[in-house]
Amino acid sequence: MWESLNLKDVVALARDPYPSIRQWARDTGKKVVGSTIADVPEEVIYAFDLLPVTILGTHKPLKKAPSHLPDNACSLARSNLELALSYEGDLFSGFVLPQVCDTTQHLSDIWRINFPDKYVESYLAPRQADRPSARYWVKEEIERLIASLGEWTGKTLTNEALTASILIHNENKRLLAELYEIKKKNPGTITNKQFFAMMKLSLQVDKAEFNKSLKSIKDGLKLKKGKGYTDVILVGITCDPPEIFDIFDELKLNIVGDTLVDGTRYLRGAPSLNGDLIDAMADRHFHRGFFSPIHDDVFKNFEEVKKLYKETKAKAIIYVHIEFCESQEYDLPDLKNLIKKEGIPMHVLDTEYQTTSLSHVLTRAQAFFESLKGGSL
Amino acid sequence: MNDKLTSKQLSKKITDEYMEDAFHAHDNGKLIGYTTAISPVEIFVAHDIVPIYPENHAVANLTAKKGVELCSVVEGMGYTNHLCAYARSDLGYRKTGVTVTRGIPDADLFLACNAQCFTLTKWFQVLARQGGQPVFVFDTPEHVMNKKAREEIVKYCVLQLKELIAFLEEKTKKKFDYDRLKEVMKYSAASSILYKEFLDMAQYKPSPISIFDALIGMAIAVYRRGTPECVDYYQTLVNEIQAKVDQGIGVLPKDQEKYRLYWENLPVWFKFSDHAKMLGSYGGVILTSLYVHAWSFDFDLNKDPLVTLAENYVNRFSNSTIEDRADMATDLFKKYSMNGMIMFMNRSCKAVSFAVPTLKDILTKRTGIPALVFESDMGDQRFYAESQVRTRIEAYFETLDRLGTAAA
Repeated sequence: MWESLNLKDVVALARDPYPSIRQWARDTGKKVVGSTIADVPEEVIYAFDLLPVTILGTHKPLKKAPSHLPDNACSLARSNLELALSYEGDLFSGFVLPQVCDTTQHLSDIWRINFPDKYVESYLAPRQADRPSARYWVKEEIERLIASLGEWTGKTLTNEALTASILIHNENKRLLAELYEIKKKNPGTITNKQFFAMMKLSLQVDKAEFNKSLKSIKDGLKLKKGKGYTDVILVGITCDPPEIFDIFDELKLNIVGDTLVDGTRYLRGAPSLNGDLIDAMADRHFHRGFFSPIHDDVFKNFEEVKKLYKETKAKAIIYVHIEFCESQEYDLPDLKNLIKKEGIPMHVLDTEYQTTSLSHVLTRAQAFFESLKGGSL
Repeated sequence: MNDKLTSKQLSKKITDEYMEDAFHAHDNGKLIGYTTAISPVEIFVAHDIVPIYPENHAVANLTAKKGVELCSVVEGMGYTNHLCAYARSDLGYRKTGVTVTRGIPDADLFLACNAQCFTLTKWFQVLARQGGQPVFVFDTPEHVMNKKAREEIVKYCVLQLKELIAFLEEKTKKKFDYDRLKEVMKYSAASSILYKEFLDMAQYKPSPISIFDALIGMAIAVYRRGTPECVDYYQTLVNEIQAKVDQGIGVLPKDQEKYRLYWENLPVWFKFSDHAKMLGSYGGVILTSLYVHAWSFDFDLNKDPLVTLAENYVNRFSNSTIEDRADMATDLFKKYSMNGMIMFMNRSCKAVSFAVPTLKDILTKRTGIPALVFESDMGDQRFYAESQVRTRIEAYFETLDRLGTAAA
């Protein structure tokens, strides 16, 4: 199903992967388990012979979610709930839902109540990351998830199955990282939209199959430097709808670094295969970068962003703000001031799932980058 | 010694002494610790850290209708208007110094417990960035409905309480006294029992207290638990309310108490007394909410103090699943013989409000009682539509009248 895709196929599937996932589940007879972002140890789900799918909102209209979550709730949370309630719920046999903030905490409850016949488990991520107890808790939660999935599936997780799963996932991250490097240095080769479509689809389809596509895409690339690109870094949690990447491509922006949880932060989460695997999965939680709801130090976030900006020699930062994400909204004013003080150009892009018109995003981004270049792009 | 003071006088005395102590904390070699209203403050009390609750100060300003003035300032600093009004008004106070009280002393350190909400953690982080003080996050994962998971959560929380103690020892350069903690726990346990006794007096018909009395009465439990004066206060309060019960004195006279109501969420602080009067005119008395019960703890003094603290702070309503919240509320409906419910969708408080639509569905189904749902903000008057709320309340009582659900 996903073994021999080209870049065009990847972009089309990333827009709506669900029909193909549905077909795949029918063909293989395997169960599909949905998760929302971030940090659910998908290797564990996969090792139980289940397909972990990261749910990243729907672009279809909201019908049922507003009666469960009001309009001042994070638009990604509402969109995810809508996807499950109205459009794709039947595809999933179960869900593993991470709790990282008040909204995601309620979201798991609402989800469980609305799907009484499905497996719904919460993954309780620690909301502090600098003390030994956080490491203890991550390991406990991974072990609890293993026990819970074991009870649901009636299977026992073997070390071999987990090793095999981690190998596939690590391979996926390695391939994506290599493709990212190619794209950064040769923006004429892979567009932003194409690269982030590969990232997104990796979170949603069978990686054993998709790795083959990634490898063949990589091997088949004809490197093109391209001209007139402006290097930028993307800061935030996630960036949607995918048409935003069209805008970046239209403006000839080259994303050379990011802190997104479905971007570089995900790629940094490859656990080591030396030693105890659960320990390794617990450890990787602390090697990943800043994620506003669970990390408390905006100064560290600023240092991380500044380092990335300098290392990549980018020309500007684009901060992606998800409308009504409370966590980002408490951090943003200070982060903005720190970045401004440092003299780094920064553009804040407000996104809302279900957005249909992006003309205002284009106009604002255009104006920002024109002023950055002191003329037209 | 306090026999001659009424609960009101005693509350004022305790509050004045507490604030005096807070403003002179540094003179007396004590540190100021900002903390969330639901947090294991017993650890602070046992270690002579003066706890300060920016929420309480925010309530004073919001009740006095300072919300718009203070919140507007903060919105000009880049914070959106849908963040918590407590946080916005507090950040506005920091910027302008505007307050209806004498203000609150600055923090030396912060303790944020997310059993209450995540927003407080983020708010404290903003304050800590301004002043450069350390923040300790006491992370309480949701009290999920799984026995084994609950045991693990308590273990994780006990580990964190030990980390908290080490953090405080380092900041104060003083060894933590576990015997002192046991003593503090005795006071906290005793006052909690009395506080709950006070709240439960709303069972009587007519009810001698309304939620507005409970909201005033809970203040000492919030900021002075763990002290002998807190126990004295609730004993005095319970005695006073019992005297009312003995004389058959209710908030409304018995023949006028038609609707015994449940309230979901925090109050609309700037409409506090208006709501009491408006509901009273229809024969309605709001008796209780899960919110006021958040400070009725059930400490087990036979357990390790850190274990009973962890168990109690992790299982607060605000950190419970929606199913457990519904069970807690259903128990209150039965116990207090309530026949109406007002479900407030509070824009400011996402931690409570995002559960409200689901909770309303469960409660109306279980009890057969219709619900009044209205949306507003606990502190920002710009989100309060007076005529709309009034019309909805009128319509709701008309519905109850038509259904004939008035209390017997």
